[in-house]
Amino acid sequence: MEPKTKYSEQELVVLLKEQNNDAFNYLYDHYSGALFTIINQIVSDKDTASDVLQEVFVNIWRKIGTYDVTKGRLFTWMLNIARNAAIDKVRSKGYRDNQRTQPIAEGESGMAMSSNPVVNDVGLKKVLTTLNEEYRKLIDLSYFQGFTHEEIAKMLGIPLGTVKTRIRTAISQLRTMIR
Amino acid sequence: MNIKEYISSGVVESYVLGLLTAQERFEFEQYCEAYPELKAARDAFELAIEKQAMENAVPPPINVKEKIFSAIQQKPASNLSKIVSIEPTIRRSSGLRWMAAASIILFLVTGYFAYTLYNQNRDLNNSLKSLEAKVDQMEEYQKIMSDPNIAVVNMVAMTPAKASASIYWDSTSSDVYLLIKNMPQLPSDKQYQLWSIINGQNGQLQPSSLGLFDAGENQKVILKMSNVKKADAFAITIEKRGNTEGPNLEQLQSMGKTKIQ
Repeated sequence: MEPKTKYSEQELVVLLKEQNNDAFNYLYDHYSGALFTIINQIVSDKDTASDVLQEVFVNIWRKIGTYDVTKGRLFTWMLNIARNAAIDKVRSKGYRDNQRTQPIAEGESGMAMSSNPVVNDVGLKKVLTTLNEEYRKLIDLSYFQGFTHEEIAKMLGIPLGTVKTRIRTAISQLRTMIR
Repeated sequence: MNIKEYISSGVVESYVLGLLTAQERFEFEQYCEAYPELKAARDAFELAIEKQAMENAVPPPINVKEKIFSAIQQKPASNLSKIVSIEPTIRRSSGLRWMAAASIILFLVTGYFAYTLYNQNRDLNNSLKSLEAKVDQMEEYQKIMSDPNIAVVNMVAMTPAKASASIYWDSTSSDVYLLIKNMPQLPSDKQYQLWSIINGQNGQLQPSSLGLFDAGENQKVILKMSNVKKADAFAITIEKRGNTEGPNLEQLQSMGKTKIQ
């Protein structure tokens, strides 16, 4: 059977839920680059990022049954799996131990930015650079480093309510910039 | 809730980017179902993010794809250890979702049953009431008919209309009941009137009214009339509605003589 080169998102989801190989093949070819970029923005090391990407696609294949179309697009679902896997990797002991032997990349704010400088200025991160310093820091900590609002409040010494509203404001600015 | 304020609060972007707490996420999903404009805002941001990410795609090393395909096809079992760390969270969240769905379904089902039971109960109550009323009425009839002190006076029809009725007359309490058997319906300005009649000493009849009543065809009703202690006969006449004068004996419909006295 000749694999299809184009699927509608709906077709793709149905086939993936049936564990269709061609559909998964297409999914990888179509989305791996975009997800790899996201992972690279969180995990600085390219080999580790590749490992995370592998883990992410295996999980997508295994967890596709839990994907609920009413809650958002397929890409959004995969994006969140990728982001969570990357954050988990960065926080894992093995990764931290490994990083200690390497020079730490410092952000302009003096806070360790988690991204690889090579991919720093693409995608969401590029959009981030247009935000003001404070908002950028908040988005970096919450989105790219996966800290909870409580943790950020403690880290920066700002009240929790302020953290929540500032992140919301920062993030709603993203919408206008992304278009 | 002001949906416009909610949409512009940054909640849409936070939801899509996975930055909401479980509670906030649940609320957002509920609102999405209720407010199409919220879902439209979500869709728009999702598409924008996707477009942005696709434009900035960086191809991963070529060997990654092979590794993935061999992992999912050739060694599905050996990879279980890797999955285990993720499974519990998934199971928990789908468990929560399942419980939320189940509790909603349970709520709807119990609501439905409560509503059905309420209706059934109301219907049963209504039929019970009407049955009770019928039983009461029948008991009353039965009591009247079986009472040894009650005398039955059959009214004999005096006209071709064959108006027939029976009088149940309680000699101790003086209660008078009229059982209508067949009394033709009258024009609306006319009523039947029941009379008790006493034969006067000089041969004059002394009628006294026991009440006016209406009767339609096919009606079998027991009416409680005015009490009377002494009567030689009962008579039913047709009178004008609300008659207060004496009997119009030309319109005598039926008459019955009492055996007592």
